[in-house]
Formats: sequence, structure tokens, C-alpha cells
Amino acid sequence: MQNILRVKYLLALTLLPTLLLYTFIVIVPIIWSSYYGFFKWSGMNEPSFIGWSNYMEVVNDPIFWRALKNNLIIVAASVFGQVPIALILALMLRKTSLFQKFVRSAVFLPMVISTVVVGLIWGYIYNPEFGIVNAFLETVGLETWTRAWLSDRSVNMYAVAIPIIWNYIGPYLIIFIAAIQNVPNEIEDAAKIDGANGLKKLIYVTLPMMWTTIKVAVVLCISGSLKAFDQVFVMTGGGPAQSTELLATYMYNNTFVIYRYGFGSAISTMIVIVSLVLILFSQVIMKRKDEGGIGI
Amino acid sequence: MEQHIVSKKHASSHTVLRIKNMVFKFLKTVFLLVFSLLMIYPLYWLAISSFKTTEEFFRFPYSLPNEWTFDNFTRAWELADMGTAMINSTIVTVVGTALTVFLGALTAYVLSRFTFRLKGLVMLLFVIGMLIPIHSTLVPLFSIMNEVGMLNTYLALILPYTAFELPISVFLITAYMSSIPKEIDEAAVIDGSGYWGVFFRMMLPMSVPAMSTVAILAFLRYWNEYVFALVFINDTSLKTLPLSLSIFSDGYSTDYALTMAAMAIAVIPTIVMYVFFQEQIMKGMVAGSVKG
Repeated sequence: MQNILRVKYLLALTLLPTLLLYTFIVIVPIIWSSYYGFFKWSGMNEPSFIGWSNYMEVVNDPIFWRALKNNLIIVAASVFGQVPIALILALMLRKTSLFQKFVRSAVFLPMVISTVVVGLIWGYIYNPEFGIVNAFLETVGLETWTRAWLSDRSVNMYAVAIPIIWNYIGPYLIIFIAAIQNVPNEIEDAAKIDGANGLKKLIYVTLPMMWTTIKVAVVLCISGSLKAFDQVFVMTGGGPAQSTELLATYMYNNTFVIYRYGFGSAISTMIVIVSLVLILFSQVIMKRKDEGGIGI
Repeated sequence: MEQHIVSKKHASSHTVLRIKNMVFKFLKTVFLLVFSLLMIYPLYWLAISSFKTTEEFFRFPYSLPNEWTFDNFTRAWELADMGTAMINSTIVTVVGTALTVFLGALTAYVLSRFTFRLKGLVMLLFVIGMLIPIHSTLVPLFSIMNEVGMLNTYLALILPYTAFELPISVFLITAYMSSIPKEIDEAAVIDGSGYWGVFFRMMLPMSVPAMSTVAILAFLRYWNEYVFALVFINDTSLKTLPLSLSIFSDGYSTDYALTMAAMAIAVIPTIVMYVFFQEQIMKGMVAGSVKG
């Protein structure tokens, strides 16, 4: 009996620091911001209760919907950019030769670079004066295509999505390579004996064997790309004229630039809701007809 | 005679196939090479530009520097006070990483070795934390820190960094510790070790591989982190490296070669880590994102 009590005491003592730190920094803020969303508050004065008006204002603000749409553009660009590119590369990178290792390292490299550096350097790549994008278009005779990529409102959302794709191909590539290596050699050999070569083998054998992994990658990609913020913030800050605003930059600008803490809190709560809904949605559509676990 | 013709025909179709294979392989190699160069190009451009004068950068932005100058590095180092930023980044990163590994291992020990009623709830809390977008906690964390006077301290970064890295760290180390046979700690208990003895003398040293993965991931994330630093740190003397770079995006924005050199300084430590711990970084980041 005394021993059991001692174990309980020990468990509580060991878990306490972790749980305290974690709860106060990760869990409490979520509750806190949904609460302060009901207040008018500039950060300095006493918060005054104003009911649902902040939430109503968010929902009725066209900028909020634009930010949400922009967030979805980033999600779509990531899912349809990162996943297929990683898959194609993985199919080409089955061996472990030095060259193939080099390709793998090169593709993964942006993962370790500071997001601020990524944002700044891509800002320069798009620079209308000396950026290589325009310079390249001029050399191949497409002068008419050159433009100020980050300020031209018809293209700038797509322009900011490319660095994000570039940034995060690596992990998906590694996941897919692992999945391909898990396809048993016997199955590949059997397919070969049955006369399935090249494309046929790919469509009827390799891809179906990887399907679970591909689904996992898509789910990861959706939740991961919802977190993208830094690169866009550094490149454009959400501008010009709020054309590249994401939910997070919208929240940042309202809270820390014009000091509307109550309104910013309401946006934060909306960010949590939107993310959870999207993650849940992606889980549901990807889980359909899915019997297997994670294929890694 | 007939047989001879057949075998000749067979041989020629075989060569066609071989040539086709070779062409295909060549195209594949070219594609992979071009793609990897595209992936590396932004960093290559950063590297060569940081050795140019601003004048040369404008005239020949893409060629190798005519004369390699280290001038940008020394100027950037002084202008943005990058020495201080480097020290701040090091303090925050090292202390944060140590705290993450220690708390992660301690929690993992409890989760992998004991069963208790609230275990499910603890795991659920960590899962929820991984789904919450970090930037949605910026406003409330700022207000809370403001209230307790924690803004503009190292703790304003160390504590949030650690808290948000805990779920992945706990899951990675728990998975590893669960794979260590229970007989080992039972033997240690028979030899007279208490629970702390088992933890410090058996579990901790045996889990070094998982802990080093966690440490590498935490190190990279803390070193590169931007948003928390941007919001919680105002004091110039406490700025971390990513923040010190942001002065170049306003004040000295036309001095591009200088900015490039500053970025190179900030990036070098992570590239060095990548060169040494590549496999571990790849595996760790993939495991981290899958568990997340």
C-alpha cells in the first residue's frame, strides 16, 4: 500500500513540470483567446464585454474570407505541388547510388533553412529589377510575361505559394522512398514475370501498394500547409492592399499593428476552428475505404 | 539457316530495347540533375552574392564574383550586431533544447513504464497540441506574458519553444523506450535501484539515439524560429538571429549584397549541422511530421 502511494507521488512529481508548462502555453491560450474574443480591448485599457460583435465582424469582413481563400490556395498548392513532385522523384530515386543520395539531400536541404531567409531570398528572386525570374523570361524571349511578381495582384498568391512548395518537398520524398522500398521484391518480380513492365507495373503494382502512404502524405500536407506563415509574412506582409493576406497575417496585422486585441483573439479562435475543420475533413475523405494503418 | 535469322532478329530487338533503356536512363539523370540544381540554386545565389560588392551585384547578379570580398560579412556582422544575436540564439536554443530533451525523456519514462488512470488524457492533450496552429496562440500568449512580466526575457522564447516541441519529443522518446525490454529495469530494481535510479542509470543512457534525434530537431527549430521572437522580443539586446535579419529588410534594403551576407551568416550553422547529421535530420523530421 505504501509502495503504491509512493509510485503515485512519483508519477505526479515527474509529470507535473511537463504538464504545467504544456497546459499553460498550449492549452490555456486557446481558451483564453476564445474568451477575449468577446471583449473590446486595445491591450492597454480595461477590456469591455461586447458579446458576439468581434466574431460577427470577423465573419462579415471580406478580408477574412479573402485570407481564408488564400490559405486554401496555399493548401491546394502544397497538396498538388509537393505530393506529386515528391512521388515522381521517389519513383526515380530507388537506388542508393551517390548521385541519388545527392538528389535526395538537395531536395531536403530547404527544410533546415530559416524561414526568414527563405522569405527574403525568394523576395529577391522575384525582384523586378534583378530577380532571376524576370531575367530568365527575358533571355528566353518572353519579355511580355515579366512583371512585379509579388505586387501584381493577379499572380502574387501563386508566386508566394512556390517558395512554400520548394520549402517542404523533402519529407514527402523521404516518406515515399521508404514506402517504395517496402514494396516486397517478390511482388515486383511476380509482376515482371506476368509481363508487367514500366508504366504498367507502376500503375497496377507500385502505386496501389503505396496508396495508404500517399493518403497519409496528403493529410500531413494539409495540416502542415495550414501552419505556413513566416515566408509569406516576410515576402509581402500580407500586402499589397491585403491581397496576399493569410489568416495568420490578418490576425497579426489586426493585433500587433493596429492593437485590436479582442478582435485579434476572435480571429485566433477562428483560425483554430478552420484548422480543426480542415484537418478533420481531410481525415474523413482520406479514411474512406481505408483498412490499413500508416504505411511506413 | 532459319534459326540464324530468328536469333539475329531477336538480337536486334534486344539492342533497340537496350538503347531505349539507355536513353530513358540518360533523360532521367538529366531531369534529376536539373531539378536538384533548381532546389539548390537559391542558396547558391545567396552564397555567391554575399561575396560581391553591391555594385557588382547589380551589374552581374548571376555570375561568380569577380573579386571575392569578405567585406559584406564584417559589415553585416557589425551593423546588425549579429554577434549579440548569435549569442542570444545560442542561449535560447541550447537551454531550450536541453529542457526539451530532459522533460521529454522524463515524461516518456512515465508513459512507457507506468499505467495510470489519466494516461489516456495526457496522451490526448499532446495530440490536441499538435493539431493547434502555433500562430493562433500568439495573441493570448502575448497578453499572458505581458501580465506576468515575461516579455523581453529569454524565458519568453525558451518556454513556448519547449512547450510546442514537447508532443513530438514525448512521442519519439516514448516509442523508443517502449521498445526497451522491461526485464532490464526489473533487473536494475532487483539490484537495488529506485525509480530514479532506473531512469538516470538505465533508461536515459539507453535512449540516447531517440534523445539525440529530438535534440537535433529542437535545435534546428529553435535556431530558425521567427514569429514568437518577433512578437515577444522587442529589446534589441535580446534579438535572435532571424530577428536581426529583419533589420535588413527595412533599413538597408537596397544594400542587397550586405543582406545576402547576413543571411549567409545565419544559415551557416544549420547547413553545417545538416552536413553532419543528414540521415538523422531526415528521419527525425519525417517521424516528427508523421506522428504530428
